[in-house]
Amino acid sequence: MSEKQQKTTGPQPLLSDWIKTATAIWGPIVSMWTDIGEATGEILTSKKEGKKSRVQKSFETTQKTWEALSSVMIEPETMETLFKGSGALPEILLKMAQMNLDNFVRFQQQWVEKAGKIGKTTHAYKFEDLDEDVFKAWTELYENEFRKFFNIPQLGLTRSYQEKVIRTVDQFNIFQATMAEFMHLLFQPVEKSFHVMQEKLTDLADEGNLPEDSKAYYQMWVKILEGHYMTLLQSLEYTQSMNKTLASLTEFSAAKKETLQDALLFLLPVPTQKEMDELYKEIYVLKKRIRKLEKGK
Amino acid sequence: MTQPKIAVDLILSKLAEDAEKTRERVQKAPDVLLEPLETEIATTPYDVVYEEDRVKLKHYKPTTEIQLKRPLLMVYALINRETMLDLQPGRSVVQNFLQEGIDFYMIDWGYPTRKDRYLTIDDHVNGYMDNIVDFILERHDLDKINLMGICMGGTFSVIYSALHPEKIKNLVTTVTPTNFDTDQGLLHIWMKDLDADRIVDTFGNIPGDIMNLGFLLLNPARLMIDKYVGFLENIDNKTFVENFIRMEKWIFDSPDVPGETFRQFIRDCYQKNLLIQSKMEVGGKRVDLKKITMPLLNYYGKYDHLVPPEACELLTSKVGSKDTEDVCLDTGHIGIYVSSKCQKVFAPKIARFLKDREEEKKKRKTKESSAKKPVAKKTKTRTVSTSKLKKNE
Repeated sequence: MSEKQQKTTGPQPLLSDWIKTATAIWGPIVSMWTDIGEATGEILTSKKEGKKSRVQKSFETTQKTWEALSSVMIEPETMETLFKGSGALPEILLKMAQMNLDNFVRFQQQWVEKAGKIGKTTHAYKFEDLDEDVFKAWTELYENEFRKFFNIPQLGLTRSYQEKVIRTVDQFNIFQATMAEFMHLLFQPVEKSFHVMQEKLTDLADEGNLPEDSKAYYQMWVKILEGHYMTLLQSLEYTQSMNKTLASLTEFSAAKKETLQDALLFLLPVPTQKEMDELYKEIYVLKKRIRKLEKGK
Repeated sequence: MTQPKIAVDLILSKLAEDAEKTRERVQKAPDVLLEPLETEIATTPYDVVYEEDRVKLKHYKPTTEIQLKRPLLMVYALINRETMLDLQPGRSVVQNFLQEGIDFYMIDWGYPTRKDRYLTIDDHVNGYMDNIVDFILERHDLDKINLMGICMGGTFSVIYSALHPEKIKNLVTTVTPTNFDTDQGLLHIWMKDLDADRIVDTFGNIPGDIMNLGFLLLNPARLMIDKYVGFLENIDNKTFVENFIRMEKWIFDSPDVPGETFRQFIRDCYQKNLLIQSKMEVGGKRVDLKKITMPLLNYYGKYDHLVPPEACELLTSKVGSKDTEDVCLDTGHIGIYVSSKCQKVFAPKIARFLKDREEEKKKRKTKESSAKKPVAKKTKTRTVSTSKLKKNE
């Protein structure tokens, strides 16, 4: 097949013809829309001032750009370059797809690794006693594994606000976890007292000494409960849990206050607590100085 | 036929009896709860004679002839309110003092707000307390008054007496913690590791509700369960219900504690135990307990779970005064002031202590003028239980 034949039968003349046809169709349509616009009066208002409307301008610009591009596109040299380049396109697309797939697989691997670590962490907290240690385990799981996601750096103009909100959510989660652990600890004496009570009742029944008065059972139980509480409340475990809960409460309160103050309240025309505290401090110092001066007279 | 091990019939009949009693109680309860109840507290008449910021000075109207030249100033703690001393007519320490012929003043610390968060122990002791003492001295044209403190207010009174001994004639401390190095009370154990800085920096003032929750947790079985079971068992008893509600009103009326005061109290007292060692500094001055040279009466409760005897009894041996007395009552922290048994002992004993010291001075003056020689009086320290006191009084 001669070169001339290839040019007439290949895809280039087809594309060239399509561009010419498209220009021939869209050109009159655009002119028609402009005329309709003028007829509906939208453009007339602008014409009064001797200016073209934004719609008209937009249509004309688009038409001119298309005409310019299509005239260049239909040149045989441009067509040849375009078709040569299109041969490389599948290769580029393949590379992009491969990269995305790699990233996805790597991301999946990281998650699997994290999940593996979670398994390891839970193992360290004796999950065979899951019933008793579940709150403690959850707190430590959260602190060691899930919390990391809140540390992902924030970007952009709103970075500091996002950080504050994230910190509040994080501290709330910590507070909830430590509170649950603390409440669980507080409930333990109740649970234990019921067990002891059952044993005691069995013994009393065996001995034939069961009290007749129902109030005696209650008194017995309260006394046992009180004893268990006294043991718990003096323990290091309780003190540590209480201090941890208090610490998480204060951290959450501080984070919440900071978010409300620095991210929300500052938008309103009211003084923040931080500003009021500064003022109170100044008043306090001034009053103290005045009293000292008064007493010195 | 042998006796059954479990007397099921007796247990069931007792249960039926209890169920009947409960039904009767429940039927009567609306009559009590829906009728007007007298639950007012702090009804003894008084005048507010001095005010400074949130702080007020109450002066109670005498009900009998004043028998003591020097008035008694009562300093309550910053935790809860001084209304506990005047819960109801017939069960009021205030009324008992008035009946003893004592001119009685009491500090009402009020309700600290956010602006009070910077107030320190120095501001309370060398500020408000000193201004109030000066006011009373001027009002009565005196050089000294009698000072009495309760719990943390007692600690403030000890500090004040050490820093201003020239203004105090007699010091009475009641359930006053001064030695914090003890593991007897749960508070002492818990406070050792408390991060006061973190709490104060976050909250500013310490919320009264958080502190109250802490106090409830000192004995959850009794304070959160048994107490209310007792209430339900007596719900048809109007007098019981009224008294119970009065106590509830007082116990949950908890002002916040100024942050900086709390911080210093926890750090210097609970954690470093500086006061009893005469190492604590207030307003830039060292609180030297040896400067407490006035007569000292030290009251505390044998079953006090908040301020155990170990926290109170060391004081008398550390002060400079030789005229000291420890009185240990068979009761708890609040029982000293509200139990009917202690009511008979508490105020009369204090009144006697103050009157004796005033009369002694008069006698000494007479002796001095006749013999022209100073006479030194030493009173032995003694510990008295309620039963012993009853016999002595």
